[in-house]
Amino acid sequence: MNLRSPFQGLRGQRVAALCAAWALALAGSALAAPPAKSKAKPKKTRAVAARPAPRDGQAEARLIEVYRLVGAGQARQALARAEALVREHPNFQLAQLVYGDLLASRTRPVRSLGDVPEGAGAQGAQPLAELREESRLRIRALLERPPAGTVPSQFLQLSTRSRHAIAIDTSRARLYLFENTAQGMKLLGDYYVSVGKQGVEKAVEGDLRTPLGVYYITSNLDPKTLKDFYGAGALPINYPNPYDTRRGKTGSGIWLHGTPPAQFARPPRASDGCVVLANPDLERLLRTVEIRSTPVVIAPSLQWVAPAKLKAEARPFAETLAAWRAAKSSGVAERLLPFYASDFSADGKELAEWMPRLRTELGRVRGRGVQLKDLSFLRWTDSAETMVVTFGEVPEGARSGPVKRQYWMRVGSQWKIFYEGVIG
Amino acid sequence: MPHARLSVSRPLRLLALVAALVAPALALADDYADVNQLLRNGRHADALAKADQYLAAKPRDPQMRFLRGVVLTESGRTQEAIAAFVKLTEDYPELPEPYNNLAVLYAGSSQFDKARAALEMAIRTNPSYATAHENLGDVYAKLASQAYSKALQLDAGNTAVQPKLALIRELFAPASRGVKPEAPGAAAPAPAPAVVAKAPAATPAPAAAPAPAPAAAPAPAPAPVAKAPAAAPAAAAPATDASRDVENAVQAWAKAWSAKDMQAYLAAYGPDFDPPGKQSRKAWEEERRSRIVPRSRISVRLSDLDIEVDGSKATAKFRQAYSADGLNINGNKTLELRKVGDRWLIVREAVG
Repeated sequence: MNLRSPFQGLRGQRVAALCAAWALALAGSALAAPPAKSKAKPKKTRAVAARPAPRDGQAEARLIEVYRLVGAGQARQALARAEALVREHPNFQLAQLVYGDLLASRTRPVRSLGDVPEGAGAQGAQPLAELREESRLRIRALLERPPAGTVPSQFLQLSTRSRHAIAIDTSRARLYLFENTAQGMKLLGDYYVSVGKQGVEKAVEGDLRTPLGVYYITSNLDPKTLKDFYGAGALPINYPNPYDTRRGKTGSGIWLHGTPPAQFARPPRASDGCVVLANPDLERLLRTVEIRSTPVVIAPSLQWVAPAKLKAEARPFAETLAAWRAAKSSGVAERLLPFYASDFSADGKELAEWMPRLRTELGRVRGRGVQLKDLSFLRWTDSAETMVVTFGEVPEGARSGPVKRQYWMRVGSQWKIFYEGVIG
Repeated sequence: MPHARLSVSRPLRLLALVAALVAPALALADDYADVNQLLRNGRHADALAKADQYLAAKPRDPQMRFLRGVVLTESGRTQEAIAAFVKLTEDYPELPEPYNNLAVLYAGSSQFDKARAALEMAIRTNPSYATAHENLGDVYAKLASQAYSKALQLDAGNTAVQPKLALIRELFAPASRGVKPEAPGAAAPAPAPAVVAKAPAATPAPAAAPAPAPAAAPAPAPAPVAKAPAAAPAAAAPATDASRDVENAVQAWAKAWSAKDMQAYLAAYGPDFDPPGKQSRKAWEEERRSRIVPRSRISVRLSDLDIEVDGSKATAKFRQAYSADGLNINGNKTLELRKVGDRWLIVREAVG
């Protein structure tokens, strides 16, 4: 490893070799600059106080900048940036790997990302493979951006009562954070995430998988009550949701949480089923999203669709909902019953048990009708097509009403409700 | 300087000695060589004392300060060595050697980031400085392995070899570097050895030779450089003296090469020099001419000199940094020399 000839003679060759090796890993040197991250709008209820600038996504952006410099043949600059990055985040293992490569490249050609000498042995083989995978996923997520203005196909209609929304693409190891306004959904930022060790599609307790589906954030756990392992905090989601329960899925305790002190980010498949983010990124979520009204869509691969197209796709179901509303408003149970699936089940009650309550409700609204306020419906399609619907059921003339959530499933050519409950 | 003869009466000899002591310092190179020799013999305390004594009179002298730093390093007095070299880099920021040795000390205490910074300073002052480059390569490799360990979350106590960086033992002073002390080989010719016969009692003579012996005296007095003629009277003719001669001859050879002084260069090789590849002497000389003369600029710098003398034979091993017109070649070299009359001449030259 000792350099027997002076530095200058080989410098050009080594940088070229390093670039060539990394160029393969980077799938082309034309890396787009990372998307500008917009700051979250401060909540009006918060006191105006000096806050440190948000640092979500910055470590990754700096790492990508190092890659870009390497691709541009500026190895010396890349080394300086990498050194600064690991100084600030010594637990960012991928950055340490890149830094090691850049140091090593000063004395010998570097053949691939993480060109660790043989001495690392078997102990290092798995972490090395995981770091390379993390690198590949990060780069891919930044190279393959969703087309501007598009949104994930699950969000057919999202009322502004959900001021934010989250969508996770597990095959890309990426979480997308949206702000939802009257003008539509806007991408605020996206972050690298880890999912379950065994991948996705959770079915049973202990299967180390991340669930797939439409969920909502149920609470925001105080980090002081949590172990170090969870990092900056945790946002539990409502797995199993009624659709999961209907399919007999078990397990619990699925959170979005942070990382332990020794790790800035974890390997792409690392958790017991939770979705793990680097602490600065989680902190962005913690101070941005609202509990109970923020949907979290977790899909193996997100399809990004133009809002106008989604609106068109939403129309048929919107009409179905309008029909249901009309039926409810009529106060006639027999008009309403066809909308409910025969295997309806809510809070342990089958349809027959649940009917009396329905009739009571109908009695109350008879003659007045109901409005569906703050209506949202999110589509979830795997083995069947389902809709997760949320609205405030406000009797005509009243100021407010209970917030209800319904789960619909397409049965043949018709939509049927298999779960209905009051959530607020 | 007065030239005292053995026949001169004692008072006059003392007078001569005093005069020598107060005379403007000449041939100071002898003191550097003395300290170096003491160091090589493992006599750290003596070497340090001699250096300190010298520096008491000339506190800013960079070469002796550098040597003192080397003595401290070899004595294991790391913090003091670091302080000495740091001060040197502050006073003489253009010298690469103190930076290199700082890096060696830092690396020795596992402070590889500091080692790297120091070596980069060394290279900045002199981009073709071979030793610093090699050391830097070793440091980079070590830093890389540390980063890899953190990346893969391997045990901190990794078994990778700790790099042992190469210490530089003396400052080089090519003419182009300006006001630096001259290398030992370039000292002025010496007066007769008798001047130092009565070495000041304070400084112990290492090889306690009889009064006339010149070479052994470590006194700060402007002792003559033991050029071949001066060494003659000393029956003991200690190896230290001859070693210095050989060193001077080798440095002179390198200097002639750098200066493209073909006459001096070729004259450094003895008549029984064995040219490589079984060439005739004539053919070899032609080849050397053709390789040296056309160059617009040559620099040959030697480091890590290791000299062994056995009577009239000597072996000099060193690292040679050859640079000419953008071509840089570094390597180990061994010269075998024979004493011919009062000169040491090269009889064999080999790479490695």
